[in-house]
Amino acid sequence: MTLRVSSEVLRLRSLAAYAMGGLGRRRAKTFALGGALALAVALVGAVLFLTDALRAESERGRSAMPDLTVERLVAGRPSTISRADADKIRDLSSVRAVTPRAWGYLFLAAIQGNLTVIGVPPGAPALGAGEGSLVAGRDLVPGAHEMIAGRGLASLLGLDIGDELGLPSVHADAPPLKLVGTFASRVDLFTSDVVFCDESDARSLLGLGSAEATDLAVSVINPNESHVLANKIALALPGSRIIEKDVLGRIYALTYGRRAGVFLAAAIPALLALLVLGWDRVSALGPEEKREVAVLKAVGWSTADVLSAKLLESVIVAFVASALGLAIAYAWVFPLGAPGLRPTLAGWSVLYPNAPLTPAIDFAQLLSLALGIVAPFVGLSIVPAWRAATTDPMQAMRG
Amino acid sequence: MTDSGRARLAVFLVVGSIAVVGLLGVDASLRRGSREGETAAIFAVAARLPSLDLSLSGGARWLRMPSIEEPSAPFDLGPAMLDPDPAGGMMAPPRQAWVDETAIEKSRGPR
Repeated sequence: MTLRVSSEVLRLRSLAAYAMGGLGRRRAKTFALGGALALAVALVGAVLFLTDALRAESERGRSAMPDLTVERLVAGRPSTISRADADKIRDLSSVRAVTPRAWGYLFLAAIQGNLTVIGVPPGAPALGAGEGSLVAGRDLVPGAHEMIAGRGLASLLGLDIGDELGLPSVHADAPPLKLVGTFASRVDLFTSDVVFCDESDARSLLGLGSAEATDLAVSVINPNESHVLANKIALALPGSRIIEKDVLGRIYALTYGRRAGVFLAAAIPALLALLVLGWDRVSALGPEEKREVAVLKAVGWSTADVLSAKLLESVIVAFVASALGLAIAYAWVFPLGAPGLRPTLAGWSVLYPNAPLTPAIDFAQLLSLALGIVAPFVGLSIVPAWRAATTDPMQAMRG
Repeated sequence: MTDSGRARLAVFLVVGSIAVVGLLGVDASLRRGSREGETAAIFAVAARLPSLDLSLSGGARWLRMPSIEEPSAPFDLGPAMLDPDPAGGMMAPPRQAWVDETAIEKSRGPR
């Protein structure tokens, strides 16, 4: 038994040595095939890593969002909603709270971009250094005409804590706002274009009347009832649109999944070309290789030995190229921030967040991705390996 | 190189490749753990935001929160159409052209 095991180990060692020798002798072909496979893996891997990271980022704080968002539609477009509608919703059973929200956009000519101005209602939970959302300064003091801005905005406008900024407004009496805090980079993906200010200041800047709100945030006692409550609100407020938190989750998943799908679909011809090239290169045995196999068979190697040696060559190339490709993809997306790829999948904006992305992929997924590449590559090489292994030595040596 | 050296190299390449994938998994896990530690900050800000749409949407549509303003916005502009500008595009906006245009407008003064 021990003898059989040790002879099998010896056989495997010899096959591995032969496979390495073969790869070394055909260095150029090995590097070309392995390099192309590594680059294809890097491209596909980077798209998957980036998409998963963006989707995970969107999902990260979803539990803090309201269960339902109620908007009013006018001519099919979102319009402002009356604050009195909030009372109609409060009367419905299973409603915990209804908050009228004041927020909107302001176009700032100086940076040729939009700001998202968000009014903070009185009594909102305080922001502070404790939870780390602010990198500098403090939270707003109600009624003091203050603002907290994203780092991108503050840096573009050259604002420091204590500086005042007069934002463009339809109301000439809108007060200038004093910068009292800037968001930390950890929340930059959500806040790079955001200005938090007092609700009354936001109303003044955005031209919202005191009886109006941009939308209503509804929280529900039992989240499982949110769909039923959405139907009740739709009946109570004709012309309203109700967005459920669960639907938002599906939107995020679909948005990034679809973008990655479109990108990968565009890359399919290139990947197919690579596979065809790989197949052609592997299946076309050169005269040297044919002679090599013929000599091996003439000196007593069985068909199984030659087949195993050829498959081992493919396994080594596939493992090394997959690992190299995944490492390139990982370094490209996470430490380097996906230059060239991020704008394609994540879009552009003037106030672009520069926060690094966090990997959402784990070891099991990485391993499945690697095996998903190794298995078809090795599978593709079975037929050429079999063809090589069954070559008639006499015929091969005659050429 | 001897046969034994070549065999060792083959084993090293295969095991090393698996180790590289393992290392990437460990690094991803460490980065994720560090990001989890920042959840309190995200929750604090998220409670004040209209939605958790990332600040990546382009200015072309004036939709910073497309998921709640126009639920189909990220997908298409018409039935069965691909989105030609999915919150951005391949090319960056011509920011320098805008800046130049603003400068020209300023130099002309109000009309």
